[in-house]
Amino acid sequence: MLLAIVLGLLGGCQYRVPRDAGGLTIALAADPSSLNPITSNDAATGEVLSYVMETLADRDPATLAWRPKLAERWEVSPDHQTFTYHLRDGVRWHDGAPFTADDVLYSYERIMDPAVDAAVLRGYYKEILHVEKVDEATVRFTYRQPYFMAFEFTAGIPIVPKHAFDDGTDFNTHPAGRHPLGTGPYRFVEWVTSRRIVLERNPSYWRAAPAIDGVVFRIVPERTVSFQALKKGEIDFATLFPVQWARQTNNPRFLDRFTKHRYYLPTEMYLGWNIRRPYFSDRRVRQALTMLIDRERMLARTEFGEGRLISGPAYPDHPSYDRSIASWPYDPASAARLLDDAGWTDSDGDGWRDKDGIPFRFRFLYRAGSSRGDLLANVLREDLQKVGIGVDAQRLEWTTYVKTINDRAFDAMFGGWVGPVEMDQYQLWHSSQAAKGSNHVGFADPEADRLLEAARREFEPEKRAALYRQLHRILHEEQPYTFLLNPPELVAADRRFTNVRAYTLGFESLEWGVNRAVELWQ
Amino acid sequence: MTREAYWVLVWRQFCKHKLALAGLAVIGVMAIMAVLAAWVGRYSPTAYDLEAMLQPPSPAHWFGTDELGRDVWARMVHGTRVSLQIGFVAVGIYVAVGILLGALAGYYGGWVDLWISRLIEVMYCFPTFFLILAVLAFVGPSIYNIMIVIGLTSWPGIARLVRGEFLKLRSQDFVQASIAAGAGDIRVMFRHLLPNALAPVLVSATFGVASAILVESSLSYLGFGVPPYVPTWGSILSQAQEFMDIAWWLTLSPGLAIFITITAFNLVGEGLRDAIDPRLRV
Amino acid sequence: MTRYFFQRMLLMIPTLIGITIVTFGIMKLAPGDPAELKAQTVQGTLKGGSLPEEIIAETRKLYGLDKPVWEQYARWVWRLVRLDFGDSFKDHRPVLAKLKDAIPITLCLSFATIAITYIIAIPLGVVAALKPRGWLDQLIAAGLFILYSLPAFWVAMLLLVFFAGGEYWNWFPLTGFISDGAERLPLLNRFANIGWHLVLPIVCLTYGGFAFLSRFSRASMLEVIRQDFIRTARAKGLSEWRVLVRHALRNAMIPLVTLMGTLLPALLGGSVIIEQIFAIPGMGRLGFEAVLARDYPVIMAIAVIDAVLTLLSLLLSDLLYVVVDPRITFGSRS
Repeated sequence: MLLAIVLGLLGGCQYRVPRDAGGLTIALAADPSSLNPITSNDAATGEVLSYVMETLADRDPATLAWRPKLAERWEVSPDHQTFTYHLRDGVRWHDGAPFTADDVLYSYERIMDPAVDAAVLRGYYKEILHVEKVDEATVRFTYRQPYFMAFEFTAGIPIVPKHAFDDGTDFNTHPAGRHPLGTGPYRFVEWVTSRRIVLERNPSYWRAAPAIDGVVFRIVPERTVSFQALKKGEIDFATLFPVQWARQTNNPRFLDRFTKHRYYLPTEMYLGWNIRRPYFSDRRVRQALTMLIDRERMLARTEFGEGRLISGPAYPDHPSYDRSIASWPYDPASAARLLDDAGWTDSDGDGWRDKDGIPFRFRFLYRAGSSRGDLLANVLREDLQKVGIGVDAQRLEWTTYVKTINDRAFDAMFGGWVGPVEMDQYQLWHSSQAAKGSNHVGFADPEADRLLEAARREFEPEKRAALYRQLHRILHEEQPYTFLLNPPELVAADRRFTNVRAYTLGFESLEWGVNRAVELWQ
Repeated sequence: MTREAYWVLVWRQFCKHKLALAGLAVIGVMAIMAVLAAWVGRYSPTAYDLEAMLQPPSPAHWFGTDELGRDVWARMVHGTRVSLQIGFVAVGIYVAVGILLGALAGYYGGWVDLWISRLIEVMYCFPTFFLILAVLAFVGPSIYNIMIVIGLTSWPGIARLVRGEFLKLRSQDFVQASIAAGAGDIRVMFRHLLPNALAPVLVSATFGVASAILVESSLSYLGFGVPPYVPTWGSILSQAQEFMDIAWWLTLSPGLAIFITITAFNLVGEGLRDAIDPRLRV
Repeated sequence: MTRYFFQRMLLMIPTLIGITIVTFGIMKLAPGDPAELKAQTVQGTLKGGSLPEEIIAETRKLYGLDKPVWEQYARWVWRLVRLDFGDSFKDHRPVLAKLKDAIPITLCLSFATIAITYIIAIPLGVVAALKPRGWLDQLIAAGLFILYSLPAFWVAMLLLVFFAGGEYWNWFPLTGFISDGAERLPLLNRFANIGWHLVLPIVCLTYGGFAFLSRFSRASMLEVIRQDFIRTARAKGLSEWRVLVRHALRNAMIPLVTLMGTLLPALLGGSVIIEQIFAIPGMGRLGFEAVLARDYPVIMAIAVIDAVLTLLSLLLSDLLYVVVDPRITFGSRS
C-alpha cells in the first residue's frame, strides 16, 4: 500500500497543500498542556494565549509603564491595600457575550478553589483578603497587608469567561479549557493535539483588529528541526540561538527572506553556591570562585557576544539594577590568594585543596538539556582543577533537578530566573526563605533582610529602586551567586511582515502589517 | 572431541571468514587506542580553548575542534574507552543475569521455569529503550548507571536462549550420566551444561556490545546520557548536531566511529555464529 | 487448539499484573512527585517564592496521591478493570482520549515499517543464501551491517538536512504526519500526502532492521536447503528456481512469520527518537513526555497497552506458526 502511495507521488498527483500568506506561522516546542490559563502554566500555553486572552492591564513593551487593557482605569487606596479596577465598556468575549465583573470574580474564585489544579496561581493570590464586585463594571481587590507586587498580581490575573465554564461540571476537565474564549485580537479556531493550534483574526476586537489573518502554531519538539523549518520557509517567526544568530543566519539567502531582532527580557543566569556546605560558607571562597570564571571570554565566544554580563539580580533595564557596580574581574591569582586566606590549602600535598580534612571537591548541579550547563560543567572542571578544586557534574532531568534543589541536596548549581520586570527579591534572599522558599543557596544577612522587608512595603518606585540598589551592593560583596548573564531574545521574522519592531520587552504584533502577494507551500 | 579441540576448530573456522577477521582486527585496534588513550589522543579530552572553537580539521587538530575548542580527535580516542566500557560491562551484566535465570529455568523446569518464564515475559513486554529512559530519568545518568540499567533490562533474550539450550541438553545422555553418577546440581549446570550452551550466548553477546553502544548514543541524544565532558561517541555526536550546518566534520567522526565499531562487532558475531553452528557450514 | 488458546490467555494475567507492579514501583521510587513539580514550575522554569505546604497537599489530594501507595495501586487496578485509565495529571484529559490520538499513528508507522522491512529483507536473505560465502552474500552482509550500524538520530538529521531542508534537495517535508489543511484534498491525494510525510521517518525506522531479518532468513533458508526433501526435489530434475520458490522458501518462511510478533514491542518503544525528530505525535513521544512530567496515569496506561499488544502479538505469531506449518499441533507442544 505504501509503495502504491509512493508511486502515486512520483506520478505527480497533487499532494501538496498551499499555505496562506496572510497568516503567521510560529513553531512551538511543545504541545500546551491545556489552553486554560488557570490550570496550565507551561510556556506553550502562555505563548498561545497571549494572542487570545487579555488581562486588566499590562506593561507597555517600550516604556515598561502599566497601560490599561480590560480595565480602562484603576484606583489604589492610600493604604495600598485596595485596588479598584473600572472595566472597559463594550468588551465582548469571542462568542459575543459581554465581559463583566463576574468573569473576574469567577476567575479569582476558581484559582482559590482547592478542587482546581492551580497550585502556582493560588500561591500568588493567597494574600488577597477578598475580591468584590462593586457593580457590573467595577471589581475591587483587597489585600491583607500592603505589598508592592499586589498591583502587578491583580492587574495580571488570568481571566476566563464565566458563562463558558460555570455549568456545574469539573473545572479542570471542562472542554472550554481546550477551546479557549478570550477577548483578545485573535480567536481560537482549532487545536489538533501535538500537531497545530490555529487562531484567526477577531474582527470585532475592541481595538482595531490586527492586519494579520491568523496565527498557526506548529508543534516541532526538536530545535534543530524548527530552525530547518524556518530556513525552508515553513515557519515565519522563530527564536534563534546565539550560534544560529551569529554564524548561521548572516548569509544573503537568509537575510533576503528574514529580518533579525534582538531584545532583552528580565532573565538571569547564575551559579548558586550552597552556603550551607563547608566549601562555600566563606564569602572569600565565593568571591574567589567568581574570579576564577572568565565570564567575559565565555560571553564573547560561547555566546558569540550576544548577552549582557550582570553583577546583581535585577533587570538591567530597570532602575533597581545598580549600573555603577562592575562585576568581579577574572583574576585567578587573587582568587588563589583568597582561597589560601580562607584556609583552603593543599595541606596533605595530594594536589587538591582541603580544609579540616575535607577535600575541596564539589558537585555541580544543572539541568539536562541545557547546553550552557554542559559547557559550564566542562569549563568549571578544567579551570578549577588548575587551582586544586575538583568538580563533578550532576546533570539531572528537570523533575529530579527541581527535587534536588528543593531538598537543598546540591553543592553548586546552574540556574536561571525569569522574573517580572521588577521582581520581589525577598523570596530569593531573605533568611526566612532559606528553609522552604527560593533562597535555596541559604543566604542570610541581617542588613539584606532589613532592605528586603523595607522594599516590600515601599510604594515610591524610586525609593524602592534605591533599596534594591543597596541590596545589589551587598550581594556583590557576598556573592551567594556568581551572576553570569542576561541572555538576549534573538528572533527572526519573515520579511513579508512589515513594521516588525523589537522594543525593550519585545514585540507588539498588533502593529504588524503583512504583504499577501507571496506564494507559499508547506 | 575434547572441549579444547572444539574451540580450536571454531577458531580455524572463524579464520576462514575474512570479514570477521577484519572486524576482530578493528576491535583490537580500538582496544589498543582505548588503553593508550592518553598518548594516542595528544590532548586532554576536556582541555578547552575558546579562541580555537569550531575549527575544521588541521595538522594541529586532526578532526577539528568542537564548540568549546576541545580537540575532537582526543575526545574520540578517549570516547573509545568509555563507549567500549559501556558496551562490555553492560553486556557482561546482562549475560550473567541471563545465564543464571535461564539456567535455573531450563535445569529445574516445573514451577521454577513457570515463574522465571513469566518474569522473562514481563521484562520482554516493556519496550526496553523506554524502560531504560524512565529508570535513567529517575536515578540520574552516569557511566555506571547507564551500564547497570542497560544490563538489568536487556537480559531476557539471553535467558530465553540459555533456557532453551538447557531444556534441549538436559535429556541428553552425558548429562543424565553425570546426574546418575551423583554430581550436584550446580556442578551439572555449570560444568556440563553451560559450556555446551555457551556458543550461542557468545554470538548474542557480540551483537549485544554493538547494540549497547547504539543505545548509549541514543540516550545522549535525548539528553539522558553522561555529562558531556565525559567523552562518549554518543555525547560527541549529539552535541555536534547543533553545528551540522557550520561544522559538518563534528558529526562525521563520531558517526563513523560508531558505525565502524558496530560493524566490526557484528562481523565478528556473524563469523562466530558461522564457525560455531556446524549446520550452517555448507 | 481452543484449550491452548485459553491456557495462554490465562497465563497472560500474572504477566500483566507483574508489569503493572513493576511500572508502579518504578514510578513511586522516582524522585519528585507531580504535585510538587506542578507547584514549582512556571513556563518551564523554576517558580520563585515559597509554596505553602497546604497548597501542595491540596494538589496531592486532587491527584489522589494523598492515599497510601497500596491504595493508589488498588484504585488504579479497580478503574482499569472497568477500562478507565483515569485523567492525565498534565492536562486533565482522559488518558483514553490521548491514546486514541497516538495509537493509530504509531500502529500505522509500525505496520508500514514491518511490512517494508520484510519486503526488502527477505529477498536479500534468500539471494544471499543461494551461494553462501559467495561475493554476493558477502556484499549483502557488509551492506546490511553498515546500515545497522548507523545511529538512527544521526541518519534522521542528515536526511532532514539533505532531503527536506530546502537547501539541497527539497523532496520531502520536514515534520509531521500530514500537512495542515490536507483535509481539503481528495482521499487519494490525502493518502499521498501522508505517504510523502512518512517516507523519511520510515526509512529511519526500517534500515536498521534489514540486517537482522535478512540474516535470519538467510540462516533459515540454508537450514531448509540442506534437508532431504530439497535434495529429492533437485534429484527429480526440477528447475533450481522452482525448487527454491516452491519448496525451500515456503518452509523457510515459518520462523520468519513467528518473528513478526517479536518485532512489535521494539517498534513501539524504539520510535521515541524518530517521533521526536520528525514531530510525529505517536506513542513514543506521548510516553517520553509523560515520563518527563511524571504523568503517572499516562505512563501506566502505556505500559499496560504495550504489554497487552506484545502478549497478543506473541500469541498471534504462535497461532500463525500452526497455520503455516501443519505439522505442528498445540496438543504436542508444552
